[in-house]
Amino acid sequence: MPDEHLKGSSVNAVRRGIRNTFRNSVRTVGVVVILAVAIALSISMLIARDAVTNKINTVRASTGNTITVSPKGFFGFSGGGTPLKESVITGLLSIPNVTAVQESLSEELTSTKTSLKSPTPAGSLGGQFGFGSSGASGFGGSSSSTTFSIPVRVIGTNSPGNAVVGGANGGGTEKLTSGAAYSPTSTADVAIVGSSLASTNKLKVGSTFTAWSTKITVVGIFNAGSTFTDASVLMPLSTVQKLASASGDVTSATVTVNSLNNVANADKAVAKELGSAADVTSTQATTEASLSPLNSVKTISTYTLVGSVIGAAIILLLSMLMIVRERRREVGVLKALGAPNRSIISQFIAESVTFTILGAVVGFVVGILISSPITSALVSASGGSSSTSGFVRRAGGPGFGAGGSGFTPPTGGFANRGAGTFRFGGFSNTITQIHTSAGWSTLGFALIAAIVIAALGSAVAAATIIRIRPAEVLRSE
Amino acid sequence: MLKVENLDKTFHTGAGDVHAVQNVSFEAKDGELVAILGASGSGKSTLLSLLGLLDSPDRGSIDIDGTQLANLDSAGRTRYRSSQVGFVFQQFNLIPNLNARENVKLALEFAHWPKADRDNRANELLGIVGLDESKAERRPAKLSGGEQQRVAIARAFAAQPQLILADEPTGSLDKATGQKIVELLREVATTQKATVLVVTHDEKIAKKADRRFEIEDGVLKEIH
Ligand SMILES: Nc1ncnc2c1ncn2[C@@H]1O[C@H](COP(=O)(O)OP(=O)(O)O)[C@@H](O)[C@H]1O
Ligand SMILES: [Mg+2]
Repeated sequence: MPDEHLKGSSVNAVRRGIRNTFRNSVRTVGVVVILAVAIALSISMLIARDAVTNKINTVRASTGNTITVSPKGFFGFSGGGTPLKESVITGLLSIPNVTAVQESLSEELTSTKTSLKSPTPAGSLGGQFGFGSSGASGFGGSSSSTTFSIPVRVIGTNSPGNAVVGGANGGGTEKLTSGAAYSPTSTADVAIVGSSLASTNKLKVGSTFTAWSTKITVVGIFNAGSTFTDASVLMPLSTVQKLASASGDVTSATVTVNSLNNVANADKAVAKELGSAADVTSTQATTEASLSPLNSVKTISTYTLVGSVIGAAIILLLSMLMIVRERRREVGVLKALGAPNRSIISQFIAESVTFTILGAVVGFVVGILISSPITSALVSASGGSSSTSGFVRRAGGPGFGAGGSGFTPPTGGFANRGAGTFRFGGFSNTITQIHTSAGWSTLGFALIAAIVIAALGSAVAAATIIRIRPAEVLRSE
Repeated sequence: MLKVENLDKTFHTGAGDVHAVQNVSFEAKDGELVAILGASGSGKSTLLSLLGLLDSPDRGSIDIDGTQLANLDSAGRTRYRSSQVGFVFQQFNLIPNLNARENVKLALEFAHWPKADRDNRANELLGIVGLDESKAERRPAKLSGGEQQRVAIARAFAAQPQLILADEPTGSLDKATGQKIVELLREVATTQKATVLVVTHDEKIAKKADRRFEIEDGVLKEIH
């Protein structure tokens, strides 16, 4: 019987609390709007953070488990530096977790050394890439300075197919369009030529050309879809070493590590082994460097997220304090009428929770709406002139899709984010892009944040309520 | 039956001790209307707050129908305030966003009246104090001062308490309305068989009481 009464009275207290939320409509709107702004900000920060984290993870997952070794001062295929020794590179196989080492020797065939003509016109790219200039990064460093013509690049490799992949070597993936690859152990005077070089020089499988005064037979033609790569020649490593009088020399090596987790350690071990003679970069390290602006976006959004939740809590806390103080007399009356503290406190908690729910609902919707522009603004602002900006824009992974600054909505990646994905079907474009990121975890966060905020507001109210003496009601002001 | 013995209450303030209630003893029977006269600051409100358990005396005892108030624990004090005593204030003190009926029902809720009976009881009380159905639906701001005090009286008597404490209930009303309110208190005290203590500094109102006391510097004396 008393239990039934208690239940009944707390239900009434909650009902009164909800009603009280709307007692002063101007204040209700004010508190709800401010709460909503803070919650919207934290939600959009959460979504931005999710998107960036996603992006970072996608990029990390796509980075290879390889380490690139090149002579100190060597810049891609542009030359410079002292070649590394093959014996030293082969020794890297003894480093723990290293599963393979693949070497290559990059050489340049100037017009005096070969019958081949480069398909690249000197004028068009010379200026842009520093052709003709002297120094470590110039193409022209080793060529005659009077009658300049583009040299042809020869890569000595035992694994044609992977030799020129990667940004430093010009990019692209080699695909044989005719003929066949030479065997990895070949020492023959054979070559696989790039498609544009082949067409400039009218080469077919079986044709021959001269290099280092030796007749070389074309066994295959490849296409890599990259201007630089398709203008080059692949030959067995030992053939190039022999013909170029570079016995035992290597200009680049790719070390393969058994797992992504071991790349960092292997990277250190390789660098230690080679000392100052070589530049050692793992794709992972390069990736991390390019991800650093994204990481700062993540940090900014984390701080803003925490800051806005704290802000919302303080706003509600102060509002509740103001409300309780304003109703000090009313609380005294309730006490004089025999209301237990528990009932009065639950009434104010209900009020504080109602404010929070209203703020959270409005804030959740607004937060989702503004998360896209906020994410893109954050990312493009921090990307700036660094390569990451371009990198991010190019990427098609999930998470980005904001309008306004050139992001393409990667809708395909969104379809399957699991059971916890909100589907705002029929909403505008912005919503479709965002629903991916606003999963149950976001809602869960909003809920937890709201509970924390409401609890704080209520606790302050409760502490004040308990201290109000009912005898105060009898004192006339 | 209310029995008060040797009640003392002193406030310790920065300006020194204020003996608001000093050695107060008196008795009042059920259905009796008792008037307490006194100047401002003489200790009238303090005495009521002790009787209504809004505050605790430093010394002395209050016995109501055999219950020693000093012996009550915190839950017992809350129950006493909700079920055995009713307050009528000078400022009415109705809850502004509840209508007249809801204000009366609030007292019934705190007194744990059966839910199903609350509407009937509230309507009955509002009828007794002379407020019709349409007035019962109004919020305090839409009622006159006299009507608000009628709602307050209905709220005070709703849970059938033995004791009604009215602190200057006519203080915010004009003379004629004040007279009507005291007549109402007088009448309801009789029908509901409750002891009613009315604090006032209006002699004319005090004349309507069964017994009169005067309080001066916390000391209570009966006027014959
Ligand atoms: N909470 C309190 N703290 C300090 N002094 C108080 C308090 N309540 C009442 N008093 C003092 O006690 C005396 C009696 O006050 P009160 O009972 O309110 O008088 P009345 O109701 O007759 O005007 C006054 O001097 C008043 O200032
Ligand atoms: Mg007073």
